[in-house]
Amino acid sequence: MNLKSTRSIFVVAIAMFLSGNVFADALRLGTTTTTEDSGLLAWLIPAYEKNSGDSVRVSLGGTGQVLKLGRNGDVDVILSHSKSDEEKFVAEGFGIARHEVMYNDFVIVGPSDDPAKIRGETNPRHVFEKILNGRHAFISRADESGTHRAEQKIWNDAKLKPEGNWYLRAGTGMAEVLRIAHERGTYTLTDRGTFMKHKNSLDLTLLVTGEPKIPNQYAVMAVNPKRYPDVNAAAARRFVDWLLSAEGQSVIANFRIDGQAIFFLNAKR
Amino acid sequence: MTDNSIWDAAQTAFGLLLSGDGELWRTIAISLRVSLIALLIATPLAIWAGYVLATGRFRLRRALIVLLQSMLSFPTVVVGLILYLLFTRRGPLGDLHLLFTQDAMIVGQALIAFPVLAAFTLTAIQGADPRIRETALSLGASRWQAALTLLREVRFGVMASVLNGFGRVISEVGCAMMVGGNIADVTRTIPTAVALETSKGQFAQGIALGTVLLMLALGVNILLSSLQGRGAAR
Repeated sequence: MNLKSTRSIFVVAIAMFLSGNVFADALRLGTTTTTEDSGLLAWLIPAYEKNSGDSVRVSLGGTGQVLKLGRNGDVDVILSHSKSDEEKFVAEGFGIARHEVMYNDFVIVGPSDDPAKIRGETNPRHVFEKILNGRHAFISRADESGTHRAEQKIWNDAKLKPEGNWYLRAGTGMAEVLRIAHERGTYTLTDRGTFMKHKNSLDLTLLVTGEPKIPNQYAVMAVNPKRYPDVNAAAARRFVDWLLSAEGQSVIANFRIDGQAIFFLNAKR
Repeated sequence: MTDNSIWDAAQTAFGLLLSGDGELWRTIAISLRVSLIALLIATPLAIWAGYVLATGRFRLRRALIVLLQSMLSFPTVVVGLILYLLFTRRGPLGDLHLLFTQDAMIVGQALIAFPVLAAFTLTAIQGADPRIRETALSLGASRWQAALTLLREVRFGVMASVLNGFGRVISEVGCAMMVGGNIADVTRTIPTAVALETSKGQFAQGIALGTVLLMLALGVNILLSSLQGRGAAR
């Protein structure tokens, strides 16, 4: 190897080292697969980066998993959707405060021939009872995500225990679970956004929208720098403030799939 | 994570293994079932292919050998991708409804095991004395009998290839995850479960399953080296 190429490798190495340092100041956002799989993140993050000058590094997982990242100090800020888990996170001092940002709803989807005859039902508890009684295949996220929590709440409210070969537990994200439901022709509970985003490539039909709707509430929390002094508290604060600001809220409101608004605002300061 | 919690997780892990935790042992059973059936399918075909490539004299033989050897490093995720596209509902074999089932995983693992088995069999036969087959044929053996005589001679090499193939499929993550979907109690294997439990922060389950995988690998290697030892001693 000649001197010139050695030197250029050296320069590249230095450049990578420096850019690595720049990257270390990025905002580490922990958020849920539904925000990614619905396409919201790809819309929201560039707008925030442009506004703030921060670069954002995203870690994805179910709400339970993302809150665990927060508990370990591995992210600076969290955008998730499971109220009770989030309140616990803040009460235990891992998050500074919980701010509600936006909401939509969960819906029940399944094969269009609808073997359990749930179409037209309005009470999700009755829907789950029909699926269980007929032992129709149902796939659960089973990953302690916000969607999984919402599903568990319906089973609990209906005083039912889903068990058996018909009840599949995926342990994975929303888009992947929709894909398994599509391939195996099963029912599942999904957030409306992810379903809307993917419905054209799925042989699944939206069968039940609860009346009242099954709420899907998103909230943002900065990780508490008192627990983890090395978190990027300044950027986390910028992100929270921006999401709740008029500008952040209008970016969320303008997010569309097939011309339809997917997320609705409820930021209160 | 502190040293303490690693120790705690390890203790919980052994508790889980000893207590016969249902889900844990079902995952182990699924792993073994998928791997063994895949080997059962792939082994006869691979031995035949290895034998033909080692003893046959035909055009493209060299090219096929090179192809087989390069298939040894074929990425398992690409096997997964190809099968996914074939088996998806809207794919050419969609009517079989195989995607996200154990059957799809078995097909994948058989494809992954095949080049390992065939290439090792080929090497074993090439290492054998060529006069074995020629002598058998000249003594009036049929081609079939000659093949069996030769394979009997190299049986330790063939067994080693099967064990190598087992090692490859039992620890395979990419293809198993893609065509199986990692569904609990249905298509979740030891390695896909370890990946999932770790990402969820459930380290005890991960350590327990990782330990089982290591024990299996160790068992297979002990078997392998004792076979090789016996093979060499003869």
